[in-house]
Amino acid sequence: MISEQLYWNPVLETMPLERLRALQLRKFKAIFTWAYEKSRFHRALYDKAGLTPSDIRTFRDIRQVPKVEKSMMRGIQCKDPFPYGDALCVPLEEVSNFRQTSGTTGQPVYQADTWQDWEWWAECWAAILWAQGYRPSDRVFIPFGYNIFVAFWAGHYAAEKLGCEVAPGGVLDTQARILKIRELRATAMMGTPTYMLGMADAARSKLGIAPGTLGIKRITCAGEPGASVPATKKRIEEAWNAKVFDHAGATEIGAWSFECLDQPGGLHVNEAMFLVEIEDVETGEIIEEPGRRGKMVITALDRMAMPCVRFDSKDVIEWDGAPCSCGRTFRLIKGGVVGRVDDITKVKGVLLAPVAIEEVVRGIEGLGSEYEVVVEKQGDSETIKLKVEVSPGAEGRVKEIESELRHQLRLKTNLGYEIEFYDYGSLPRYEVKARRFKDLRKTA
Amino acid sequence: MTAPVDIEKMDEKIRQLKESALDLSAMANEFPAVKRNVARVLASIKMLELNVCDVVGFPD
Repeated sequence: MISEQLYWNPVLETMPLERLRALQLRKFKAIFTWAYEKSRFHRALYDKAGLTPSDIRTFRDIRQVPKVEKSMMRGIQCKDPFPYGDALCVPLEEVSNFRQTSGTTGQPVYQADTWQDWEWWAECWAAILWAQGYRPSDRVFIPFGYNIFVAFWAGHYAAEKLGCEVAPGGVLDTQARILKIRELRATAMMGTPTYMLGMADAARSKLGIAPGTLGIKRITCAGEPGASVPATKKRIEEAWNAKVFDHAGATEIGAWSFECLDQPGGLHVNEAMFLVEIEDVETGEIIEEPGRRGKMVITALDRMAMPCVRFDSKDVIEWDGAPCSCGRTFRLIKGGVVGRVDDITKVKGVLLAPVAIEEVVRGIEGLGSEYEVVVEKQGDSETIKLKVEVSPGAEGRVKEIESELRHQLRLKTNLGYEIEFYDYGSLPRYEVKARRFKDLRKTA
Repeated sequence: MTAPVDIEKMDEKIRQLKESALDLSAMANEFPAVKRNVARVLASIKMLELNVCDVVGFPD
């Protein structure tokens, strides 16, 4: 029975590492050559570095290839061929899909895909969903506002490709989506961790429905690192009585990683479709060994309209040295994407990753899932304010909660905070990407 | 019992599919319904190539 097969592609997913590396090298040469020959943007970049396709023979040569940053893509867009600029490798007539980034880090970047690229997106997502246990018998509800952001579009097409029945949750509001899940007896869904928590909250508080009784068996999260944050994953799993899986991807890159059914505490990189390198932020050295964090430089090996070659994603990751019990040879990144180079900032001289605050807040019983962090500078001193909500029924335990919160924050982040408690439901709720960390020092 | 994957045979069939699709596309320059549907078929065939053909004949 095909549904009993563990792997979407049993050949690629279990390929011996040496062969996998050889396949990646061959594919890198091909995409580099394509970009060099078809894109004026890439050609100029590589000419400046004195590189031609014949120079790419080893992984060491790959490291000489200049990286592409998001700011460079912003710099060329809106020029000809409009609106993508000269990174476009195909005639405009072959572009079938427009998407743009969410703009979290600045002006949105436009992305062109051909129909083949769009098939490729769905193919990458199909490997993800299969690895997470989605099968043709699933009825997948997608509570996502289908729009210019790529988000769960590819998840939708991939679920169709697997043979699942897909129910698009489009413009329905949260309560209508919950009722539709119940009406259809949906078995799986996809969303940001924030929205999955928000939906569970709305089911309980607005509809009097326990979300765990709705029959959802698996949830795929993306868009934020939450599903790899143990406390957040636990909250979503408990709320929905479902297995929660993380996936990391990006508009300019593709769907490059996934958590498998064995939930090994990290994400597999789809190394048949992507080449991931980890670069030391200080020295630029490529990190091969497990346990050292750096920023991800990534190549999508088969994306054609606007190639993604050595893209500096600024995602902070580290290799996990342990093999996964699922049998895939695709390497794991430990704990998923732990932050972005841009987000990890020094406060009072201490390095702070906002995701560590999330782990603390959501690990404390009696606190709601929403929070907000505000860093400010007053004179010469910096302050860090944490706004949290008290869960219904825990109002009488605020002092005890505050004491535990201060203790855990000191332990996990080595910083002291001004803590403000708010009524449940008063902090902002998000559907797509949450913006909970506000560094006002930069705007002062 | 699971039948073993005959990847070489699969590769051969995919190549035949592609050849047929390209022939059909070449015949359909004045037949949009065929031309555009074949373009989609070719995109799907490319996914088969990524899954199968790229691995075949690859040095062990």
